[in-house]
Amino acid sequence: MRYVSLALQYRVGIILGLTLIVSAMLVPGYVSATTLSLGLDRAATIGLIAIGLTVLLIAGQIDLSAGSVFALAGIVSIMLQPQLGILPAAAAGVVVGMVAGAINGALVVGLKVHSLVLTLATMLIFRSIAHWITDSQPVTGTDIMFSLALAQIYLDVFTVRSALFVAFILLLHFWLTRTIPGRNVFAVGSNAVAAEESGIASGRILFFGFVFAGTLAGLAGVLQSLVTNTGSPVFGSTLIVTVIAAVVVGGTRIEGGKGSALGTLGGVLTIGALTVAMEFQSVPAYVQQVVSGFILILLVVLDRTVNTRRKAAADRPAFVQGNPIKQGGSA
Amino acid sequence: MTDGVAGVAHMKSGDRFTRGSKAVEALSKAGLLIAILAVVLYGSIANAAFFSTGNFLNVLTSMSIVGIVVVGMTFVLVVGGLADLSVPATIACGAILSLGLQPMIGPVPSFVVAVALAGAIGLLNGMLVGYFGVNPIIATLGVGTIGLGIVQAAVGGVIVYGTNPASAELVKGRLFGIPVVALIFAAIAIVGHFVLSRSFWGRWTLATGGNYSAAEASAVPVRAVKAGAFVITGLAAGISGGLLGLTLQSARPLVGTGYEFSAITAVVVGGVSIIGGFGSVPRAIAGLVFVQLLTNVMVLEGVRTPVQGFVLGTLIVCAVGMDAALRKRGGA
Repeated sequence: MRYVSLALQYRVGIILGLTLIVSAMLVPGYVSATTLSLGLDRAATIGLIAIGLTVLLIAGQIDLSAGSVFALAGIVSIMLQPQLGILPAAAAGVVVGMVAGAINGALVVGLKVHSLVLTLATMLIFRSIAHWITDSQPVTGTDIMFSLALAQIYLDVFTVRSALFVAFILLLHFWLTRTIPGRNVFAVGSNAVAAEESGIASGRILFFGFVFAGTLAGLAGVLQSLVTNTGSPVFGSTLIVTVIAAVVVGGTRIEGGKGSALGTLGGVLTIGALTVAMEFQSVPAYVQQVVSGFILILLVVLDRTVNTRRKAAADRPAFVQGNPIKQGGSA
Repeated sequence: MTDGVAGVAHMKSGDRFTRGSKAVEALSKAGLLIAILAVVLYGSIANAAFFSTGNFLNVLTSMSIVGIVVVGMTFVLVVGGLADLSVPATIACGAILSLGLQPMIGPVPSFVVAVALAGAIGLLNGMLVGYFGVNPIIATLGVGTIGLGIVQAAVGGVIVYGTNPASAELVKGRLFGIPVVALIFAAIAIVGHFVLSRSFWGRWTLATGGNYSAAEASAVPVRAVKAGAFVITGLAAGISGGLLGLTLQSARPLVGTGYEFSAITAVVVGGVSIIGGFGSVPRAIAGLVFVQLLTNVMVLEGVRTPVQGFVLGTLIVCAVGMDAALRKRGGA
């Protein structure tokens, strides 16, 4: 039983290891610096969004609009290039993500509604705006050379965005484990009322959680658009399933209160490794969808069954202890 | 977060809150009817084509296809299942199979098989949500992705065409001047309404959505009831997809995209609570009528599609916000 729980604790590592081993056996030329850096680069897009989503999920919320924010921020960063130049336009794109996140956060905290339904609505709204401002046509940037520079591989492994992703995830790990605001996120996620009673401004934490998630989705969108030199209103429409899958594979619980940055790193790398392996074997896109959906369901179910059993075991003694107190209170 | 404090305040001023809640209740009921009338009035003034039999028949037909899904989605929301996002997959399943299987087994059996398979997808959702306790959004998103992927893989990502014109004529035809699709929708809506408001299953559904633990303690089979709501939605979406396929005589794998939002919008705008325990089929259909007429007016006025999406999204936010505000005032 101890081995089982140990295996469960480090299951991300096990899943990642298995994925890499199986891919290496099936796909010729998989274990090379180029392939791995390609995988990392592909994973970086998912990863940047996953960083934001990890914080939100730990806080017990979710953002389904990330895919739409991704598209919208990318479009803005491309469309403003002629007026502002490349870098200011990119910054504007990230700001769009930030604003989108702030809208989500303000509505969720202000109206006190379930973030699932609310971000479902804003997902529709942001996607509509993306179609609106582009006339549903893809837009192209001004300078293809910049895209090529951005997609270049440095030090044999890193592209700009994969380096950004790895840096951010390490920062997130530090923030979540070593700082007070980071710890407060966990508190809000496990019990918002209790956190509020202990003097944590849970509303503010949730709001900034959404702003953070929106900013990162925007950043991911801007980088994607810069690398492909294109902004398209259909970008990222199926992205959110993959991102949620990556975060959940990493052991972050959808119900909040539990999760880790390094787990998300593992989850993102697993999804990236899997995607590259399937692309090398020219597996059709819809089969890839099936695989990522399947992994998501499998892991969530696994997580649920393990947690329910553990919780049931933990509940019993507490109930017995709680009994006398209740009697005392009534007497 | 401040619910505890608010609750105490309401307990002290019990009678005032009851009266307030009654007024709010009346407003929330009549509000939608007023809104529908306003849209009809505006549409009639702004556009000559709006107030005509032809236009209303068009609205009725397009409303019926979504409406069948709305009936199922009402159960999902009332039972506290948040939403079923696998609807595009189940609609695609219904549409593609009911057309694709026609040459092999004939139109009626293929329709039945298509609906049954959509129901099976709903059952999978229901098992995950009801019995494994998976978050409904995650479960239905995942299952929908898988289902859609399988459907796409099965037909190779291409468009499927119908081979049986007779069945198309039947579905597109009219009975006493009313489109057959609308009659099917009306039948399903009436059955859905009676199941939800008059039957034991409906009472269980409302009880489960209202207070899960209390319902469980009162020996309501909460897991089965929760799963059942998703099966109902799966079946409804299958029927809707089958009718859509037969009407269009062609089906793409992405034929059902957007229907989940249309259905959720209608249900939420109709004032069905997102956290469950409250709602009825007529309310949801009133929401549907409002949304459909609004969309119709926008189309007639030449408002572009993305703007329509924007308006609908905003409408959901407003409806959800209003629901939250009313709930807070009701003290529940």
